[in-house]
Amino acid sequence: MKLLRYLRDAAVFVPCYLLLDWVSYIHPLGAFNITPWNPQPALAIVWMMLAGLAHAPTVFATIVLADALIRDIPATSGVGILAALLLTSGYAAIAWGLATLLRPRPNLHTLRQLTLFVAVVAAGTALIAAAFVGLLQLAGALEARTALTGWLRFWVGDAVGVLVTAPLLLAATDPERRRGLRALVARGETYAQIVLVLAALWLIFAALSDPSHHFYLLFPPLIWIAIRSGLAGATVAIAVVQIGVVLGIHHRSLQTLPIIELQALVAALTLTALYLGVIVEERARALEGLKQSLRLAAAGEMAGAIAHEVNQPLTALANYGRAGQMLLQAGRTAEAAQVIERILAEARRAAEVVRRLRDFFRQGTTHLEQVPVAALLEAVRRIGAQAQANCGICVTLKAEPGLPDVLVDRLQIELVLRNLITNAAEAVAGLGGGGEIAVTADRHDERHLRIVVTDTGPGIPDVSRARLFEPFVSGKSSGMGLGLAVSRAIAEAHGGSLEARAGTHGEFHLVLPFHAHG
Amino acid sequence: MRMAEGRGAPLVVYVVDDDASIRDSLALMLGLGGYATRLFADAESFLERFEPAWTGCVVADLRLPGLSGVELQARVRERGSAIPFIVITAHGDVAAARTAFRAQAVDFIEKPFDESQLRAAIDTAFALERQRVEASEMRRADAARLSRLTSREREVLEHSVKGLHAKEIAQLLGISPRTVEVHRARVMEKLEVRNIAELVRFAVAAER
Repeated sequence: MKLLRYLRDAAVFVPCYLLLDWVSYIHPLGAFNITPWNPQPALAIVWMMLAGLAHAPTVFATIVLADALIRDIPATSGVGILAALLLTSGYAAIAWGLATLLRPRPNLHTLRQLTLFVAVVAAGTALIAAAFVGLLQLAGALEARTALTGWLRFWVGDAVGVLVTAPLLLAATDPERRRGLRALVARGETYAQIVLVLAALWLIFAALSDPSHHFYLLFPPLIWIAIRSGLAGATVAIAVVQIGVVLGIHHRSLQTLPIIELQALVAALTLTALYLGVIVEERARALEGLKQSLRLAAAGEMAGAIAHEVNQPLTALANYGRAGQMLLQAGRTAEAAQVIERILAEARRAAEVVRRLRDFFRQGTTHLEQVPVAALLEAVRRIGAQAQANCGICVTLKAEPGLPDVLVDRLQIELVLRNLITNAAEAVAGLGGGGEIAVTADRHDERHLRIVVTDTGPGIPDVSRARLFEPFVSGKSSGMGLGLAVSRAIAEAHGGSLEARAGTHGEFHLVLPFHAHG
Repeated sequence: MRMAEGRGAPLVVYVVDDDASIRDSLALMLGLGGYATRLFADAESFLERFEPAWTGCVVADLRLPGLSGVELQARVRERGSAIPFIVITAHGDVAAARTAFRAQAVDFIEKPFDESQLRAAIDTAFALERQRVEASEMRRADAARLSRLTSREREVLEHSVKGLHAKEIAQLLGISPRTVEVHRARVMEKLEVRNIAELVRFAVAAER
């Protein structure tokens, strides 16, 4: 079975390798035909990375075969065999290095993986090129004066070939990446991008004079692709560019030197696109994780607030329970019955709080109720009193008379107010005493209430005001900086808003909808 | 009733909590347990009625509308009362607990609590309170005895406590040593002490 699978793998690999080698066999140099674009090493490396180093003999045999078929080097040539051996061991070393470093999944999904990949490929191919050229010189197959050019050609050719092709092969073998590739096909934007890349290639090779002078034309479309489609788009795009460049070289029958130059430019373009793609993907992943943790944080803060709410009836429940026990022991059953009545009422009160918590976790919904503005201000007073107790800050309250009730989740809005007042208290505390916090409530417009929390703290600089509500941005040395993000999310879920005003002092505006009558 | 134990001074549990159910249930439970209780919905209404002569302990919620439980404790101390405080809270708030203990709260109890937990705290508070009441009663008795001395006798007492002999005191006050002896005997009789050592101890205690 094992042998069968081995042979089957080889039966796929050998023709693919030969095909790639044949396609890319352009502008050979010297007796051993060093070409400026070698995608086939990527195939050998990725294959040995994924299928194991046991396939090295197949690789060796394939290289000998390819030399014989494509480069007309007889399989009996001693130098040819040695060169194939050298290449095979070099590719195997790179494959081993990558497989070891890029654990657990070599799909280049992080900057670290990509950097390791680029470093191993660049260094590995440079060494292989040096050894290969050295071998040819020793054998007298390459003139000394072309040694440096030969090395550069070989290195650039192999490095570009691997950098361009290996990410595509790795993507094709990774299920998640394959999904990303398939998603590209379904997007209309992809076709516009392809057209733009092809247009740039046409301009570079057909319309304008020196191709390498106008190579920069390819950067904007590739940046667009990498930003919009991440690594998947970038890998496909650079492959398209590489094929285009090869065809262009063919079309213009360029000389050796501009080809190396062009390939070096392709390498630069490849690195740019790959890095950009990975950064875009890492950012997307971070945002996704953030949303998740934001929801968890909101739920956590809610849970804290609700734990307080549920503790009150629970305490009364325990007290009544103990009292009932004592009454029964004393035989005062009539009074005990009354106490049990109250126990049931407290149990219902606790159940109501728990039900609200469950609702919140199930769908993140808010329990909207008609709440008098006075009740909210009462909460502010309570929270303010605490700040006063802890840091000696004076909290003043002012409300426009005759404000209608608001339609809010009392617990959640209390949470927001607590956040705002705690923040204000912390800002004021930095002043070293004598700070004040003022809370005013008035009409924002006909249908909205506005609660303004101002403090005598240093205010918010313009720069940080823009980022204030972003999660994990915190002016404090302690804390995660989730408070304001959660608060704004809650305000917006109510159909209101939460904003910071610029100024020489701290000022936050919380807008909430009134309860609509009729 | 426990309140009768405080040698005349009734020991009362003063409950300050804004939650009506908690006030009601605490009063019921503690009442059945033999404690006298008085209930307040917030710190302000407590302070309105408060008299420094109150004895017992205060069970105050940390979070109250207006002044917090810890602030209430500070106000009560300002008014010259050392009545013990037990702070209860539904928030497991470490910072608040620290503040409460710094202000010498007897205990800091998280809601929901066991009856036994609360009773233990109240009993500790009452034990402290009894010591305090006894000490202050003793001080009051001492003061009463001191007030019975004439001004001359008080002078003699002050000098005696400093360790002066009758002769030296006589010289200082311009009277005969014999008269000093008579005054001193009367002082010891009025203060109910048997010898000079006890007299000194009394004077030191009275100074405090």
